[in-house]
Amino acid sequence: MTPGTDSNSPLLELEGVTFAYGRGPRVVGDVDLTLRPAEVHALLGDSGSGKSTLLRLIAGLERPDAGRIVLGDDVLDDGPRRNVPPERRPVGMVFQDFALFPHLTVRRNVAFGMGRRPDARAEADRLLGRVGMTGFGDAMPHTLSGGQQQRVAVARAMGQEPRVMLLDEPFSGLDATLRDRVRAETLAVLRDAGVAVLMVTHDPREAVQSADTMSIMRGGRITRRGTPGELCRKRRVETAGPNGEVGFDCIELIDG
Amino acid sequence: MNRWSLLSLAVCGVVALPTLGVLGSVFMPGGEEWRHLVETRLGTYTRNSLWLVLIVCTAAAVIGTAAAWVVTAFDFPGRRLLYWALLLPLAVPAYLSAYALTDLFQFSGPVQTALRETFGWSRRDYWFPEVRSLGGAAAILTFSLYPYVYLAARTAFVEQSSGALEVARTLGRGPWRGFFTLALPLARPSIAAGTLLVAMETLADFGAVDYCAVDTFALGVYRTWRSLESPVTAAQLSAVLLSVVALLVFAELLARRRARFFQLTTRRQPVRRQRLGAWGSVAALLVCGLPVALGFGLPAGVFVHMAWTTGDARAWEVVRDFTGNSVGLAAAASALAATLALVVVYGRRLGGGVVNAVAGRVAGLGYALPGTVIAIGLLIPLTWVDHRLNAAADAAFGWRPGLILTGGVAAVVLGYQCRFLGVALAMLDASLGRVRPTLDDAARTLGATRLRMVLRVHLPLLRSSVAAAVLLVFVDVVKELPVTLMLRPFNFETLAVRVYQLASDERLEESAFGALVIIGVGLLPVVILSRLIDRHGRGRTS
Repeated sequence: MTPGTDSNSPLLELEGVTFAYGRGPRVVGDVDLTLRPAEVHALLGDSGSGKSTLLRLIAGLERPDAGRIVLGDDVLDDGPRRNVPPERRPVGMVFQDFALFPHLTVRRNVAFGMGRRPDARAEADRLLGRVGMTGFGDAMPHTLSGGQQQRVAVARAMGQEPRVMLLDEPFSGLDATLRDRVRAETLAVLRDAGVAVLMVTHDPREAVQSADTMSIMRGGRITRRGTPGELCRKRRVETAGPNGEVGFDCIELIDG
Repeated sequence: MNRWSLLSLAVCGVVALPTLGVLGSVFMPGGEEWRHLVETRLGTYTRNSLWLVLIVCTAAAVIGTAAAWVVTAFDFPGRRLLYWALLLPLAVPAYLSAYALTDLFQFSGPVQTALRETFGWSRRDYWFPEVRSLGGAAAILTFSLYPYVYLAARTAFVEQSSGALEVARTLGRGPWRGFFTLALPLARPSIAAGTLLVAMETLADFGAVDYCAVDTFALGVYRTWRSLESPVTAAQLSAVLLSVVALLVFAELLARRRARFFQLTTRRQPVRRQRLGAWGSVAALLVCGLPVALGFGLPAGVFVHMAWTTGDARAWEVVRDFTGNSVGLAAAASALAATLALVVVYGRRLGGGVVNAVAGRVAGLGYALPGTVIAIGLLIPLTWVDHRLNAAADAAFGWRPGLILTGGVAAVVLGYQCRFLGVALAMLDASLGRVRPTLDDAARTLGATRLRMVLRVHLPLLRSSVAAAVLLVFVDVVKELPVTLMLRPFNFETLAVRVYQLASDERLEESAFGALVIIGVGLLPVVILSRLIDRHGRGRTS
């Protein structure tokens, strides 16, 4: 699917998705969410609000107790009745700690999701080129900086040609000065490839700067959704964020 | 309940079998033998076991803690060597120490002979401690078991080190007062856990107390089985011992939990050690060097000397004839233990749930069971199964297959699983714990099935730990005595069993090479253990 075509019909649809770990309290409650092709959607919420769990549900790493997850024409989850295992979903994921396999070279990390494709090696190098990591194919992950590891993780997640990319706070481990640039580059690569992006973050600034649409999650539920412009009260300058950055576009969200 | 839970439960059942066998015996009629045992021997067993545990634990706690403090807090010539050499006694099984030290210090031994010749004494002119006594056994066990305390205390001291102690220094507490008011109280749970391991090993010891003729519970189980030929009475005796061991296990669990709680920081800086002067260095060398000398140097030296001076063809024959049996048994048992341990740790990782967690815990508890208890606990149910099988086969086909379980090596290998699965489990559990769960998730979202994830991601990452687990169990099996002695097939002897028999027959010289092989094999895990700890320590601090 290329960007622009058919962009009004939803690509990923969540209906009433509900989940609890074991017999514990509900972590995700009755969540509806729609993602269009090539759309970048930010899920904003504090830690423990259930946003990461929602990503794990979409990836298939957890099974919803109720609700449907549909991708294109495929029903991935239908309550406990149907559940496509994570390895058979066209969904890529980039983790907060990048989760590169420490015993494999960068190239073999990227090729991990390509199965037995004969051109896996060339394709891995091509993807590394797209994230600006040409020439690092034979390096081992632990020799890379945080920003470099993050790029490799993105290239690896793209290796299986996903239709949806899930980003679980993949920029929060990076240096503040590096973060904006890496994020912009990463999202550009994903937009070019026409992949829809669902990005989890607890940083309002990050959400507003990079997302087309966003939702705010609180206590396992989506409490508000809209465009950054709709969800943001501007004009006031305040200090916020974990590193004390000053003066972003969005200081206060319209949310109780 | 998923597949993993069933597998974990099966493994857990294997390890729990001896305990169930022993507990089951409580409900069997004990009869005349039990009453006889209570009237004649039970008092002795209780008294000896209590005294032994009391003396060995106290002495090992003091020696292990003191040595650990000296090597972490002070700098002196030889410190780096002693830092790991203090672990060396782990390579010498207590029974070998007993044989060697008795040989060295008995009336006809070289030490007393030299004293008599030097001073012209005769038998009545002097007093010399008797090695083959309760005190002797306590000393032997102390110097062979203190490394458990040393290791636990050293880890605790290194972890708390700089932060808390430097604060204490800036508040005007010197290293000595800092030790008693801060370092020692903080390390107490770890020291307690190490000491409780010493208590379990003391209660479990068979070879050393047997040679020193100190009748403890564990030895009583063997004697009752051998001389009274009453497995049920031996099992009932085991049940008494088992309940004491259960208390120790519980106490150790609590101590470990507190030890975790007492860990102050995760960020560590290397300790700034205080440099000692000449007299301080001498004292430090004595505190750290004597345990190594008595626990490793002397016993190993005696066997080396024996092999050197009196080693002849017969001594080599022992090694030639029985090493094969030892290696075969150890290879089979260690491969099986690693496999079973993998099943259990994967059950917990992939299967999850309470059943897998509990099964994993139980499977790891076998280390606390004395070998004689395991043997008796297995003999009863396995003999029963063997007889049933024969009866069934006889009825069905008119043919008796013989003793399949108790007649072959199956029972011994099973016994080793009960005793040593915990070792393999601890090894694999720790290293699988270091494989971050997001690696699993990443592999799955990249299209890998669970099988492919295990093969391509986990196994390469776990390879060295699996090898270490196999090696540790292998070495433990080579050194093991009571389980092998009681469960081996008729006329089947291992190196350890042969050395035991030769020592019992006062033919120790012939066993010298065999003993050295056992000690040499035992050195492997000590070296690996200290390297693992070093690497782990470096990884944490960097």
